[in-house]
Amino acid sequence: MIKFHPNEELLVQYVQGNLDSALAVVVGTHIDMCQHCAQQKKDIEDHLSAKAFGAATDFNELSMQTMLDEIMNSSAPAIEVPHKVNKHVVVEGKQFRLPPSLARVSKRLGEWSKVPGSVWRAPLQIDNDSAINLIYMGAGASVPEHTHRSQEATLVLNGTFIDEHDRYHDGDFVFLNADHRHSPQTAEEDCLTLAWLDAPLQFTSGMARLLNPFSSLFFK
Amino acid sequence: MMQVMPEKRVNRHHMKSNSASPQEITPEYLAGLLGEVALSRSRRAFSELFKHFAPRLQSFATRQFGNEQTAMDLVQETMTNVWHKAHLFSPDKGSPTTWIFTIARNIRFDILRKNKKNQNDISADELWPVLSEEMSDSDDEFAIDQTILLQEITSYYSQLPDAQRVVIEHIYIEGKSQQEVSDELGIPLGTVKSRTRLALQKLRELITDHD
Ligand SMILES: [Zn+2]
Repeated sequence: MIKFHPNEELLVQYVQGNLDSALAVVVGTHIDMCQHCAQQKKDIEDHLSAKAFGAATDFNELSMQTMLDEIMNSSAPAIEVPHKVNKHVVVEGKQFRLPPSLARVSKRLGEWSKVPGSVWRAPLQIDNDSAINLIYMGAGASVPEHTHRSQEATLVLNGTFIDEHDRYHDGDFVFLNADHRHSPQTAEEDCLTLAWLDAPLQFTSGMARLLNPFSSLFFK
Repeated sequence: MMQVMPEKRVNRHHMKSNSASPQEITPEYLAGLLGEVALSRSRRAFSELFKHFAPRLQSFATRQFGNEQTAMDLVQETMTNVWHKAHLFSPDKGSPTTWIFTIARNIRFDILRKNKKNQNDISADELWPVLSEEMSDSDDEFAIDQTILLQEITSYYSQLPDAQRVVIEHIYIEGKSQQEVSDELGIPLGTVKSRTRLALQKLRELITDHD
């Protein structure tokens, strides 16, 4: 049972197309995994479309007819060859199925690299200034305690992780604001997550501060 | 060709958008028009859709962009997609208004993205595959409806328009897949799907009428 969901404001911005694109991939992936939010998304679409098309402009008759003719005489758009999609991702010999929203952007996935503490990450380049990361934590792994300059969203794709506040399972979407400290870790089960950050991490524990150069490499 | 809600049809000889009040136009009626465009490229049905949606799209786009030319581009590109891709509309997934809104949302997203001139930036259809041919591929959507028994299909399918009847015969009586029907009849898979959908809709109506 999924316990943590994106709030309504995030879902509305997602439907409008106003959300940061990288965050939209995370929200879309959650919607793939969550029937509750899939239904909410539909309701929001109905609501917004009724609102968007509530008013009509008085269209100039001539330009309307011209456009109508142009459209009906236009040639059908070329059929695009669907690009190759990976439905799975493999890390440390384990294979995970990707929900459709992630599979669609799988060609954007970079190489896996290992970071200290039984943690692996692979970047997913979404646009010029934002990326998200697939983060794989083996069993008994931990990410050093950190705060964020602004916001972080984490979606559990498979497995369980724990922080000071709660336990998070498949489909859980955790949104943390600035000033929120936490140190995610796994117990006996490993965990694959999708993580979005809108500013680099600042590690707060002494040991991790020494590793700070790696923080920018970790969550870019 | 299709007999969709004839009682709801109103005469609109004028092109003024306000000559038709929105109450006369039900989602079912609009879905029927989309069906006609998908099945028979009906110019009349598309003109009606255009007259309903273009002024609404323009109003929406003008508010979004605050620029008349960009707004008109959005109207034209959205309605061009409706003309060519009406077969991708599925009434089970939502209303025609919602479908067209999501197409416009995607086009707006791509217009804003193009302004940034980064080729590798994510595109709208990577985020929301509204117009993807594969998207309607979930076979359960077209799996035979439990409420329509084969018996009933065989007694009513002869009343379907020819194009739909042939597809239904192949799928439900000969047990072929939609892809096989597409290959055999030499028509696009999307067309097979929309004909199946419309035929099932029609059969549902026929069966309910006789109950
Ligand atoms: Zn949810």
